[in-house]
Amino acid sequence: MHKKTIKDRSLDLFIYLFLLLMGVVTLLPIATVLSKAVSDESAVISGKVGIFPVGFQLQTMKYVISSSQFLTSIGISILVMIVGTVLAIALTALTAYPLSKRNLPGISFIMLLFIFTMLFNGGIIPNYLLMKELHLINSLWSLILPALISVFNMLVIKSYYESLPESLEESAKIDGASNFTILFRIVIPLSGPVLATIALFYAVYYWNDYFNPMLYINDAGLKPLQLYLRDIVMDADSSSALNKSADDMMNASPEGVRSATVIASIIPMLLVYPYLQKHFVKGVLIGSVKG
Amino acid sequence: MSMIRAELEQQTAQMKTKSISKGRWKLFRNNYDLYLLLIPGLIFLLLFKYAPMYGIIIAFQDFNIFDGFIGSKWVGLDQFEKLIHSEEFYQVFNNTLLISFYKIILLFPIPIIIALFLNEVRRAVFKKTIQTIIFLPHFLSWVIISGLFMNILSPSGGVVNHVIEWLGGTPISFFLDNHFFRSVVVFTAGWKESGWNAIIFIAAIAGIEQEQYEAASIDGAGRIRQMINITLPGILPTIILIFILRLGYLLEAGTEQILTMYNSVVYSSGDVIGTFVYRQGLGQQDYSFSTAVGLFNSVVGLILIVSGNELSKRLIKRSIW
Repeated sequence: MHKKTIKDRSLDLFIYLFLLLMGVVTLLPIATVLSKAVSDESAVISGKVGIFPVGFQLQTMKYVISSSQFLTSIGISILVMIVGTVLAIALTALTAYPLSKRNLPGISFIMLLFIFTMLFNGGIIPNYLLMKELHLINSLWSLILPALISVFNMLVIKSYYESLPESLEESAKIDGASNFTILFRIVIPLSGPVLATIALFYAVYYWNDYFNPMLYINDAGLKPLQLYLRDIVMDADSSSALNKSADDMMNASPEGVRSATVIASIIPMLLVYPYLQKHFVKGVLIGSVKG
Repeated sequence: MSMIRAELEQQTAQMKTKSISKGRWKLFRNNYDLYLLLIPGLIFLLLFKYAPMYGIIIAFQDFNIFDGFIGSKWVGLDQFEKLIHSEEFYQVFNNTLLISFYKIILLFPIPIIIALFLNEVRRAVFKKTIQTIIFLPHFLSWVIISGLFMNILSPSGGVVNHVIEWLGGTPISFFLDNHFFRSVVVFTAGWKESGWNAIIFIAAIAGIEQEQYEAASIDGAGRIRQMINITLPGILPTIILIFILRLGYLLEAGTEQILTMYNSVVYSSGDVIGTFVYRQGLGQQDYSFSTAVGLFNSVVGLILIVSGNELSKRLIKRSIW
């Protein structure tokens, strides 16, 4: 242990303060909206609420969470997320396996076809017209199908497959195992952690996606959470959903209801965040080793 | 003599290619099940990635939904001529470049600084807490983030305007003011991703050999010196790679972000290529023109990213793909 010089100490102070500031700036917007969501309506309207709640109450939160539109949109988001994630991870993991056999004829060409789609795409309108042709407008499949394979995610899984020791597959082959048996009995069980991480990538993608719903869903009963929230946030004054919910509730200001809706939409993510963070960081690191 | 030799060489070469193609055929036959496994993925690829690329042909048509892809009138490059003569497009192009440049200049260094500073923190609990907090916004959708910032920046009851009033200023409608809208876009983008983007640099720093620091320490180099002379050069290849990658997305100024934030009042400062395509296409149903704008965007993007990759190969011998 060497003694800390004054220079070192002031450097430390600067660094700690800088990082602390980063943390505070990150939390402040969430904290102030949260305090509005749980403050007394009259305090919200008169603009007395700052970082800390004034006249704590949970009525507005309760009201927002129990509104049928909110519950429906949460249900749709969960449905899309589960079905989407299961299908996406299955398709991605299966497609990545043949692509990891680079010595097979034609594989490098097919790989090129996949990679090209990372660099170039048809764009919004051709995608919209495709969905129209497929009669998927106002179908939840329009949210699930276009995102089934993310090439980036597939590359992560592929490079993980490639990193598995070849001897494992070779000895199984000598024992007469088919490619399918090797994939399902050896490769996939060994890839558990990376598959779990990528599944989380897909789950967060489906949960947060509002762009596809905005393009393809206009049936109010099929709107997932993000789109429902967008209606409330964007059309602050004209939103029928908001006006109705504010009317229904005696003392609620639109401001209070809006804050509570934003907070209610963050809660599911906050609940799983500690778990997500750990796995996501790992996933980014696996991806960057290759990249 | 030499003729016979040439002939022999030719024959062996032929036999070689024959046996290679025979070997490839055998490889294909023995692994036909792996190719079967590819079929669902290829169907996905053709239907959802390449079919829309085929749809780009409507950029060269005067497309209407009743005549379809085959029946619509071909107009050659008329849509692109319209694009070149559209003043609105120049405005949008200008906005896109400005927002992108601001984002790159102001936001690119922040994750690097965060990573460098986190590396200096010895208290594990503090380090972990800060990381957990600053990674969080990455997991929130743009809709939620717009909701948060519209709330705190609101001219009626927003915390920021309270502070401005308290300091004696007049409230600002950040989301309705062309002087401030771009700043809001840049700031919220930084708020969402600065912490998360530090991960890649944190990982790069972890890869630097510890002996270098020990040697420098013995030589009497202070911590600031070590940061500048060891850590920064150590992660320089990563910085260059990420920077080049970032430049490749110059024309993507944040379509999904701006779509949750803007309104007709701030089109003149906040409308970017992506949002313009969305409005022209799905709002005005001008399918052909907006596809042409989208195609322009995609082609420039492709050129940028491919040349960026070439540059990265030459500069740091690393390829993006």
